[in-house]
Amino acid sequence: MRKALAFMLVVVLLSSIGTAGAEDASKIEIVVFAAASMTEALQRIAGQYQAVAPNVTLTFNFDSSGTLQTQIEEGAYADVFISASQKQMDALDASAGIDKNPDAQDFLLQGSRFDLLTNTVVLIVPEGSDKGITSFADAGTDKVDLIALGNSDVPVGQYAQEIFAFLGFWDQLNTAGKVTFASNVKEVLSQVAQAAVDCGVVYVSDAATGTGITVAANAPAGSHKPVNYPAAVLSNTMQPEAARAFLYYLKGEEATGVFTEIGFAIPQR
Amino acid sequence: MDLFPLVNSLRVAIISTALTFLIGIWAAHGVTRLPIWLKGVLDSVLTLPLVLPPTVVGFFLLKTISPKAPLGAFFLQAFDIKLTMVWYSAVFATTIVSFPLMYRTARGSFEQLDPAWEACAQTMGLRKRFIFWRIKLPNCKAGLLAGTVLAFARALGEYGATTMVTGYIPGRTATIATTVYQLWREGNDGLALQWVMIDLVISLAVLVAINLLELRGGAARARSEA
Repeated sequence: MRKALAFMLVVVLLSSIGTAGAEDASKIEIVVFAAASMTEALQRIAGQYQAVAPNVTLTFNFDSSGTLQTQIEEGAYADVFISASQKQMDALDASAGIDKNPDAQDFLLQGSRFDLLTNTVVLIVPEGSDKGITSFADAGTDKVDLIALGNSDVPVGQYAQEIFAFLGFWDQLNTAGKVTFASNVKEVLSQVAQAAVDCGVVYVSDAATGTGITVAANAPAGSHKPVNYPAAVLSNTMQPEAARAFLYYLKGEEATGVFTEIGFAIPQR
Repeated sequence: MDLFPLVNSLRVAIISTALTFLIGIWAAHGVTRLPIWLKGVLDSVLTLPLVLPPTVVGFFLLKTISPKAPLGAFFLQAFDIKLTMVWYSAVFATTIVSFPLMYRTARGSFEQLDPAWEACAQTMGLRKRFIFWRIKLPNCKAGLLAGTVLAFARALGEYGATTMVTGYIPGRTATIATTVYQLWREGNDGLALQWVMIDLVISLAVLVAINLLELRGGAARARSEA
């Protein structure tokens, strides 16, 4: 019995070594770090991209832009980075100036950065909520006991803070202990869907693909900086051509169709 | 410096340790008296939270006490009590993850007792209750105390399941672990480090306490056997 087990273990180990070297040389893997709000859109586009470039495998890492920025700074390998706000991209861009990039970091391939998408910030409530929440201003009233927001490291959390500061009650929200801070926009979405909170602030693209939630209101005009999703190739990419090709595809008609269907918009470029 | 996370972490850990102490001893004593086949199955189930990643425990908890989940909805409708996103949600999470520590240590202690003592007591006509409280428990003191301190240490250090069921509301549900994570995420390394130091001091104190208890227990045993 023991000999049989030992033999099987050796076979498994040897076969894994064997297959490791037998990779197809023409297969390329592009690692894409993208804001969590792009999860559904990019997964759909990846399916389409298979037909366009069958030898390219796309590997995604979806998380809050702040988390992704930290991972890149700490040495994580990625070919492409798409952030949900300029702040995180600026911090990695050598040409962004000392106030936006205080540590003078240089992680982007110069000339590859452009604005890919814009999005709308919305207030969502759990499906079937009977609290009568119909606007961002309601968060400052007794109708809302608990609101889920991204923390200051998450772009949608930054936009939410700007909106409530614009409406004049950001500080009160905090001192009243009404805010629970989440690590990325999908966490906010799931907390609202569970009805663990009365409302939350996400993007319209998340609301469109999320279940168990309803959009209660759009952000008031002029209440926050424009939501821009910059995209760029990273400077230590091992396949710059394939990375650029993918970003170029994202600007194209097929990808744009998917993005706009989900609720993103295309900025002036 | 807002000390709420410290107060909250301590109260959650103390409450869940008290619960774990009671339930753990009761379960351990109960399991030692079961038939062998049932003992094995139950033992595995009760030890499971020790092996599962805390996020898995958090997932199962959410599927039970979330406002739209069976237990959560019941408590909300019947008593208007929220089970998630409140400070005591952490107690559910920490009790579940620290339970196996108390349970295993207690079971080990009970099984180490000389079965002859129980048999002897029974021949003298002593009742089960008396045997448990006045013979078994006192002789397992060292083990039970060690289990309690371990459970407390685990409860204090719990993060994964806690963050899933209590979220992070500064001043209402923040614990030391969730606070350090959020401060690091926001880039506030200075304040995060202060909390890390506080946590280190408390954790070291707990471990020193375990060691002292073990020493005393060992010395007492040596004296009684001499």
